Amino acid sequence: MKIPIFSISRTWTIASSTIVQLMRMKTFYFLIAFALLVVGIGFIFGSIDPDQASAARQLELIKKLSFGAMDLFAWLFAIVATALLIPRDLEDRTLYTILSKPVRRIEYLIGKLLGVLLLVFSSLAVMFCLCLVVLFIRENAAVAEEMSNLQLARGENIELIKEQISLIREQGVRPQLAIGALASFLKAAVVSAMAILISTFASSSLFTIISSILFFLIGHAHSMATSFWESGSNGVVKALTNLVKLFIPDFQIFSFSEGIVQGAAVAPHLVGSMCLLTAGYLFVFVLLSLVIFMYKEF
Amino acid sequence: MSDIAVDVKNLTKVFQVGGGGANVFKQGLTSSYVVAVDNLSFQVKAGEVYGLIGPNGSGKSTTMKVVLGLMAPTEGHAQVFGLDSGDIRARHDIGFLPENPYFYRHLTGEETLKFYGKLCGLKGAELKDRIGELLALVDLEGARKRRLSGYSKGMLQRIGLAQAIIQRPRLVILDEPTAGVDPVGSRQIRDLVLRLKDDGISVFLCSHLLEQVQEVCDHVGIIFEGRMQQEGTLDELVSVENRYSLTLEDADPETIKEIEALISKTKGTTIAEQGHPKTTLERLFIKIAGEKEANKKS
Ligand SMILES: Nc1ncnc2c1ncn2[C@@H]1O[C@H](COP(=O)(O)OP(=O)(O)OP(=O)(O)O)[C@@H](O)[C@H]1O
Ligand SMILES: [Mg+2]
Repeated sequence: MKIPIFSISRTWTIASSTIVQLMRMKTFYFLIAFALLVVGIGFIFGSIDPDQASAARQLELIKKLSFGAMDLFAWLFAIVATALLIPRDLEDRTLYTILSKPVRRIEYLIGKLLGVLLLVFSSLAVMFCLCLVVLFIRENAAVAEEMSNLQLARGENIELIKEQISLIREQGVRPQLAIGALASFLKAAVVSAMAILISTFASSSLFTIISSILFFLIGHAHSMATSFWESGSNGVVKALTNLVKLFIPDFQIFSFSEGIVQGAAVAPHLVGSMCLLTAGYLFVFVLLSLVIFMYKEF
Repeated sequence: MSDIAVDVKNLTKVFQVGGGGANVFKQGLTSSYVVAVDNLSFQVKAGEVYGLIGPNGSGKSTTMKVVLGLMAPTEGHAQVFGLDSGDIRARHDIGFLPENPYFYRHLTGEETLKFYGKLCGLKGAELKDRIGELLALVDLEGARKRRLSGYSKGMLQRIGLAQAIIQRPRLVILDEPTAGVDPVGSRQIRDLVLRLKDDGISVFLCSHLLEQVQEVCDHVGIIFEGRMQQEGTLDELVSVENRYSLTLEDADPETIKEIEALISKTKGTTIAEQGHPKTTLERLFIKIAGEKEANKKS
């Protein structure tokens, strides 16, 4: 009998069972908490002090907070979910039963990663839609208010109000917000692949979670490390920071999306390089995990 | 087609404990080695039930993991139906039930079988029929829709057995299939093993519950500290050359007296043992273990 090098259907079986597993672990409570948070930010927080901040500023704040929450959810969920999977399979000896079937180790690894990523993607999609709905409602309410002001206004006030409206529109629902959500997803994908790599040699979930979070935070300090390295002349420090930069992804590449969320223009080449880098990191991490996993003894 | 189901030749498996494995210099100082399996050779013929027995830590599970390709041998090799155990094609012919298995607790019995069936490439109506058949075989039709988190130890062991044979393998490997199962449950499992044998499936099992091994196995190997101590058919192992036993059923005391009288008249023959038959395998086992312990002390 011939067994293909890589079977999509087996990988899919693992991925879909991973999704079912995470869903039945009640991970969607996370989503409900998020929904409450966003709605809270959008309606309660946003209307505390309408005189103080302009409507446009309020929208900006709502976006910043809800997209920030979304981003936090995505990477944290990716780490925790990934870290719970492989160490637990190993502990419960479920892995033995899977690998003693005609399943290749690469199919198992990619299946697990795919399952987590699909779940992160769909939760992000749901959260993104929720954010858009809240934003849309707030935006139109603010515009309607300005419109009613417009009817009463005279002279130069008209210009002023029109400017206000365009400012509000700028902070409202815009297509480039999707790029902000995409960046969150790509970041979560890289974090998840990193957690998979760690869990191939770590034996506990807790260790995987903690070290993944640690590496994630260190991964935000690349530019800091670079400036440090450029200012210092110590060879050892140089080598060390280079090593860190080699193995820990630069998570800052995803942070330009914060600007986009706040209304800055999109630089297409940045989006492109972000996608490329993500693909590169995923490839390297999966490859390394596979090498370790292939030779791992259970 | 090979008529040897499992062929283990000069298998040695050494584990390195401690040391971490990263630093070569450190290894020499801090780590030690455990020889779990030591130059072990045996064969399981197609269609027979082979039992490997030995005390805790004697290397039974390790041997099985090597045969399954979950571990690589340090030396020697293991083959399954003529294929190297590391070959994924061998996995099609093997069903495995690990010791104290835990499957995905969030899945129902039916979903569990579906998952493993899909991993073996089964699908559609064929898979559905097979699942029904297996649930009936292991007497879990009533628990079909219940999650495994609510299964008892015996039920888990039976769903595990069903999972192992879902793709109709030619060889089934069972690691302590009756550990922690009550007498009624172990009887059920024993009957299932005998049914597999009737269907022409080879069974390789290990246990330290000798009575059960004695009931089902054609061939028995006794392993102690990773080395094969004695091996042979059950008859060979438990018969003592210069002794002969006669087991009577429903004999009245008169007949027994007559036989005793006859024997006492014969020169050179004595009655060495009399009474109700005992599990002789157990005695042999204890004898070997006792001898080894004594050797170690002296
Ligand atoms: N992954 C491992 N790393 C280090 N040592 C191991 C490992 N697996 C097993 N051992 C050691 O190898 C020896 C044999 O273990 P094994 O699990 O094969 O025994 P066993 O016969 O199955 O025992 P039991 O009846 O308790 O299941 C033991 O001394 C054990 O401590
Ligand atoms: Mg064992």
